[in-house]
Amino acid sequence: MIYLYDGSFEGALSAVHQMFHDKGAKNDQSLQLRAQYQHQIFDVVVETYPDENRISKVVKSILETFGSETFRKIGYAYLSEDEGFGTMLYRFLKRAYKLGANAMENLSDPDILAIYKAYNAVARESHRMIGFMRFAELEQKVFYAQFEPTYDLLSLVVPHFQDRLSDQVWVIHDTKRRKAAFYNKETVHFSDLDPVDTLYFSSVEKVYQQMWQAYFDHIAIDERKSPKRHTQLMPKKYWNFLTEKMPSKNLLK
Amino acid sequence: MDALDKLKILADAAKYDVSCSSSGSERKGDKSMLGNTTLPGICHSYAEDGRCISLLKILFTNKCIYDCAYCINRSSNAGIPRAAFTPEELVDITISFYRRNYIEGLFLSSGVVVNPNYTMEMLIKVVKKLREVERFNGYIHLKGIPGADQLLIEHAGMYVDRMSINIELPTTQSLRLLAPQKNRAEMIAPMGLIKEKMAEYGAMRKQFKNTPSFIPAGQSTQLIVGATDEPDLKIIKISEALYKRMSLKRVYYSAYIPVGNISLIPARNNEAAVFGQKQLLKREHRIYQADWLLRFYGFAADEILTKDDPNLDMDVDPKCQWALRNMGLFPVEVNKASLMELLRIPGIGNITARRIIASRRFGPLGFENLTKMGIVMKRAKYFITCSGKTFGTMDLEPIKLKIHLLDAPKGFSNQLSMVELYPRQFGGVTHDLSV
Repeated sequence: MIYLYDGSFEGALSAVHQMFHDKGAKNDQSLQLRAQYQHQIFDVVVETYPDENRISKVVKSILETFGSETFRKIGYAYLSEDEGFGTMLYRFLKRAYKLGANAMENLSDPDILAIYKAYNAVARESHRMIGFMRFAELEQKVFYAQFEPTYDLLSLVVPHFQDRLSDQVWVIHDTKRRKAAFYNKETVHFSDLDPVDTLYFSSVEKVYQQMWQAYFDHIAIDERKSPKRHTQLMPKKYWNFLTEKMPSKNLLK
Repeated sequence: MDALDKLKILADAAKYDVSCSSSGSERKGDKSMLGNTTLPGICHSYAEDGRCISLLKILFTNKCIYDCAYCINRSSNAGIPRAAFTPEELVDITISFYRRNYIEGLFLSSGVVVNPNYTMEMLIKVVKKLREVERFNGYIHLKGIPGADQLLIEHAGMYVDRMSINIELPTTQSLRLLAPQKNRAEMIAPMGLIKEKMAEYGAMRKQFKNTPSFIPAGQSTQLIVGATDEPDLKIIKISEALYKRMSLKRVYYSAYIPVGNISLIPARNNEAAVFGQKQLLKREHRIYQADWLLRFYGFAADEILTKDDPNLDMDVDPKCQWALRNMGLFPVEVNKASLMELLRIPGIGNITARRIIASRRFGPLGFENLTKMGIVMKRAKYFITCSGKTFGTMDLEPIKLKIHLLDAPKGFSNQLSMVELYPRQFGGVTHDLSV
């Protein structure tokens, strides 16, 4: 039986509740994205829609059975934007309720491992992005950072910068997903935001960008150069937004 | 000379110090200050030599009264430009870089000008300004200048997260040969002082909550490998003593790069000249692996290497080298072994050993499971059984076995570091192997 959901985290939780409670459900159930589903001739399809009651029951049950850490990992796994997340979540819970409170530790089980791997990939990239984020100072002392992470982790990196750069106004902009977080020295506010055509940099910005590029070039030891290791540790997909690696057309003249 | 030119010169002068870690300190942000620190540390970039850039690693000045043969900044080296920052310039660059998220903080060192005390006072001026005027709450790693007054070392410790005094040369003889103006006692004394003070402040904090922090991320040091002819056993014995007796957090190893006065460094000792830089980098890598065995795997230096076998094998990693010497201890039953026993199996690391212990509570593990959990079966399969079964029939004669172990594993970059996964166990503490 194929269940369809709207692609939201809440939608997935709600659908899973329905799948667990449908009488006559078969073992080979899957939960797929409505927008991507293509009907096959023998498919039996059930449409699901987010239901407050179902969502809160599932959340409560996960928290009570496995604890907040497991719930956090499931949330991270969702942010991996894996198309198979729905089915992955359903199969994970099906196994986990049999294994009990510490189910997340049983990495020898493929259904548990699948969620763990998705979580791990998101956690890894978000730790990486906390380092690779680059702010540039715009006019009026606004610090602006643009990035395009593989996974949807804007909400995961924001608390770090809220704690660290608490005395400056900043914007973190995911231009791939067209949304941004705005911080005004007090609170953070999330909003949709299209890529910005022209940025107006502060008069000192160029000086520090040049200094950083110079530092980056000079700190490497020529005798130890290793392009392979360099790109392994700092993959090319991030270079567009790294001040020290960005193509020269993006640099301030 | 403008700040940009100084930055270039003084980054060049600082880069041969390998340490760049920003770990070991966890400090929350504060609205009245700029910055915070995180226990595992954060890498902000990777230089083209593949080394992580976490801190702004820089010298205050590369002018130096000493003439150490191994050092690019030695006084007799006429071939390099010299420069010195003003405290204001350096503070401005640090803060501006930090606000742009280029760096995790500052790693400040210096050539020795006038005398050690004068130099130490200059460094203190910079970190004091950062902390007190700029309210900078990020990471600071400061070099202690050997020979500086104890009071200055203690004063500096109030402002910084980590302090390090580089030993550079493993033995007194090498020091006498290559750095005659320095002496061993002047390096060891401040280390002992820092250890003592850290314990003192730690004890005080238990009683009085408002006790200021004192070098919360602990101290580290650096040894140069390959400029002199000490065997690997000598080097890891020194590291072991530093970890145990001086409670050091890290010992860094730096493969010697011929930037120094070649005539003083005997050619037979200069490994880079004899075997090439690549071979020496490999040796440095093996020493790092042995260092990990000391800190995270419960090995003693005398187990890793012996008097008859005093050098690390360049073909296999140190744990394999140990295992091949101790085949009598294998195979180990994965479903029964303790954490410490698992940690001694080649191909199993700290993360995977803990995964094994967590997941085998749900039922016995087979070889299938182990592969999926990230155990490097290419090496582990020769040393383990799963519920009594071995992985096919194998020839366990050490010499033949070594041939199977030769190829280096791939994909190291896909692993989370231990500090990320177990910050409490690995972020700051050494010698703590509790789960």
